[in-house]
Amino acid sequence: MNALYLLLFLLSGAVLLLSDPAAFLPALLDGASRAAVLSASLLASYAVWLGLMRLWEESGVTRGISRLLRPLSRRLFKTDDEETLSAIGMNLSANLLGIGSAATPYGIRAAELLEQRGSRPLYSSSMLFVVNATSLQLIPTSVIAMRIAGGSASAADILLPTLLTTAFSTLLGVLLTRLFVREKKAHPSGIKFDRTAKSAARRSPAPIVTAKGKQI
Amino acid sequence: MKVFALIIPLLFLATFLFAAARKMRVYDSFTEGVKEAFPLVLSVFPYLAAVLMLTSLFTVSGLDEKLLRLLSPLFRALGIPAEIGPLVLVKPLSGSGSTALLSDILSRYGADSYIARCACAAYGSSETVFYIGAVYFSRTKRKKFTAALLISLFSYFASVVLCCALCKIL
Repeated sequence: MNALYLLLFLLSGAVLLLSDPAAFLPALLDGASRAAVLSASLLASYAVWLGLMRLWEESGVTRGISRLLRPLSRRLFKTDDEETLSAIGMNLSANLLGIGSAATPYGIRAAELLEQRGSRPLYSSSMLFVVNATSLQLIPTSVIAMRIAGGSASAADILLPTLLTTAFSTLLGVLLTRLFVREKKAHPSGIKFDRTAKSAARRSPAPIVTAKGKQI
Repeated sequence: MKVFALIIPLLFLATFLFAAARKMRVYDSFTEGVKEAFPLVLSVFPYLAAVLMLTSLFTVSGLDEKLLRLLSPLFRALGIPAEIGPLVLVKPLSGSGSTALLSDILSRYGADSYIARCACAAYGSSETVFYIGAVYFSRTKRKKFTAALLISLFSYFASVVLCCALCKIL
């Protein structure tokens, strides 16, 4: 991510330097102020959903749902940790319901837990990223609302194409992650996407992966 | 369509009722959860700001238009209408930007046109990929998700191609 960020930043900065250097700082400030506005609306939406999520957790709803999704999420994310699986389960179900704002806090927690306790952190968090980025939504509520506002005669007939495309993008993403994202420690011959991960593996050659691998 | 509007209110009411039935102190628990919102936003903000600064720089520098011009023969070959090209490119970068583009397409070409249906399916097939990267990994130490980013972008573009083909038959 660092390399990608640097590359894109230098590239757009250089182009701007040649064409319109005065627009450079305003562009950055505009981005930052959009982040500030977005953060304010995120604060509001997190307040609503985190409040509800706490009720789900304490009343046992979270445990029930994550147990339901356990077979799927265990196989997909390759982790056995109960707390991680429950965050993932809630993230998946909020995504399916189309409540992205509720899915996000669970996703953040799942990413955090996968890094700390996961036996294959790179693979699992990549999977979490891909599954969330390719969207799992069953009902595209916002799109349908926008079509109604646009005066559509049959706003819901977008349902089938959207469902098929989003299912396709998720399946393709999951497949590619399974094929290409390998833990550097366990598979030294795996495709090298990320140099920082490799050097980190060299620094701490933890035998956790093989130990877990034998268990399963 | 009315049914969809019921999902969220029912979700809240059912949760509150269920919690009360479990003899929970609903008000205390709810506020306990709300308390977590501030630290969460604080940890998300730096990454959000950095990504949005880059997005803004990318757009203002005109690189997005150059990229679009560069990609348009490819888009045409894959059956993606030129009208939804900007939407396809903006969607992974900006949620609000792509929403604006989508509503523009809906009003310009009519909500039931092929272009608009294509645009809707393309819009719905993926999330704002760069935003997911910034937010989800805001609390992890290592930001090693380049592979996941590339895989997500590739799957997204492939699904846009599929949806443009699907909208022709469905």
